[in-house]
Amino acid sequence: MALSPLKRRATALAGLPCARSSPRRAFTLSGLSARLGQPHTAIALLLALLLAAPAQAQDQPLVAALSTQEVRISTAFTGEAIMVFGSTDQPIGPGGDEILVVARGPTRPLVVRRKIKALLFWINGPSARFNQVPGFYAIAGTRPAWQLLPEAARQENGLGLDALPLTSTGSRSPAFRAALLELEKSSGLWLEDAAPVEIRGGRLFNIAVPLPATVPTGDYRVEVLLVRSRQIAARAEMSFRVERVGTADRIADVAEDHAFFYGLVCIMLAALAGWLGSVLFRRD
Amino acid sequence: MQVYLPIAGMSVDAVLLVGIGFLVGWLSGLFGVGGGFLLTPALILIGIPAPVAVASGANQTLGASVSGLMAQWRRGNVDPKMGGVLTAGGFVGSLAGVQLFALLRRVGQVDLAVSIFYVVVLGTVGGLMVMESVRAILRRRGAVRRRLHEHFWMHGLPLKMRFRKSRLYISVIPPALAGFAIGVLSAIMGVGGGFMLVPVMIYLLGMPTAVVIGTSLFQVVFVTANVTLLQAVQVGSVDIVLTLLLLLGGVIGAQFGARMGTKLRGEETRALLGALVLSVALSLLWGLVRRPDSLFAIGPAL
Repeated sequence: MALSPLKRRATALAGLPCARSSPRRAFTLSGLSARLGQPHTAIALLLALLLAAPAQAQDQPLVAALSTQEVRISTAFTGEAIMVFGSTDQPIGPGGDEILVVARGPTRPLVVRRKIKALLFWINGPSARFNQVPGFYAIAGTRPAWQLLPEAARQENGLGLDALPLTSTGSRSPAFRAALLELEKSSGLWLEDAAPVEIRGGRLFNIAVPLPATVPTGDYRVEVLLVRSRQIAARAEMSFRVERVGTADRIADVAEDHAFFYGLVCIMLAALAGWLGSVLFRRD
Repeated sequence: MQVYLPIAGMSVDAVLLVGIGFLVGWLSGLFGVGGGFLLTPALILIGIPAPVAVASGANQTLGASVSGLMAQWRRGNVDPKMGGVLTAGGFVGSLAGVQLFALLRRVGQVDLAVSIFYVVVLGTVGGLMVMESVRAILRRRGAVRRRLHEHFWMHGLPLKMRFRKSRLYISVIPPALAGFAIGVLSAIMGVGGGFMLVPVMIYLLGMPTAVVIGTSLFQVVFVTANVTLLQAVQVGSVDIVLTLLLLLGGVIGAQFGARMGTKLRGEETRALLGALVLSVALSLLWGLVRRPDSLFAIGPAL
């Protein structure tokens, strides 16, 4: 896979390789390294972590890190995967420790509308407004969260799509909440157990969280939870930023902050392109 | 090749956009219309949000019409005075249209309103065009020539003005009103409105056909420029990347279309265009009537 100069720079900044790929696919470590064409890259990631923090790894039950602190949306952005990896002081797996990884994007208010049939036409009818809807939410674990934790702990920590604290105004029907879940899942912005957290060598774990092309910009929080005998024994919190860069960023910024100027530029550019095109491609 | 549209906030195949631009440009070159009425529905069909499709459609129509206007201006086929009156009406109309658009967006009925506008306007215009041209084809020989100066109610209106290029001495009210109506439609449908303006100019205002195309292009260019500016400021939905990709295909397609258009006869061309307009209206009508795949939709809270 050829990385653009921009990507390469981003990779160098983060100090670790990052991967771009189709967001809809489930991401696994081996799949990722195969796509990168270097089978040992992903293992190197884990080793780098362990070498970087050998002292921490001994007295802390959980160490975790992200493959990058920054996801850059350029005009060629088609989605990206962010790697969450780390290690524990005791073996992971059935009967031992379990890992849960949750990634949350910035929240925004949304309106869910239901279409109703008025005479002949289907029109937007009743609606419900949800005030704090995460623009991105992904949860994965060595096993699904409901198998690992008691229901109360799961609801309290918002672990799972059905445990998201969504309050709404407007129509009270639960169908709106269900529809919101369904629509966000189908857009790839909300993920629940798309792929399990992979375990390597008993104590190393990793998961790739796929961000689709429509991923909102802002600050993201990633939480890694160590579950020991149905209790959260340790947690590690990390964050990364999704931001537009280059032309895409400049266009969106200008359009937002200097709308009048942007409108004028759009007029000029369209007129210029139309005129230039007719000069270049004139066929008479 | 995927390209990220910064305002729409989504990634779309650039080749698909250039292809749509080419096809619409080809048809518009063939029929001598702006093609905005085909472009906006096509963009909505591939999943571009309606506000972005409308605003960028108007922006694209502006670009596509500029070279035509310049060519007509050079040949002296533009009546600037009549164009000015139409444009003045169009400015007020597009201002009102964008307010209406912003209001519809707040109450979440933009998609419905855009579709209904398209069905009604395109259905009427397409139907009239097909009927008129079929009638013309049927009695090509025995056509009754319309008298140049037929007086009716319109000629009793005050505020008369002399339009030297159009060889008319009429009230400014009808052209200003026509400009206003087309300005509203332009803001809501993302079209230039040439396909509606041309019949109005010929049949209602009685302008000579030689200056009709040039003058309508004059109005289209200025009104779409106004719509672009207003949409950019009020709704923030003009996507310049989308516009430029569409124009890239559009200007090439228009040249091919224009060459082919010279080989078609007037009545046949108009019957074909009418059929095309009508089929777009019918497919949008079907979209309103059929049960949607998903009964729920999410949108940003405004």
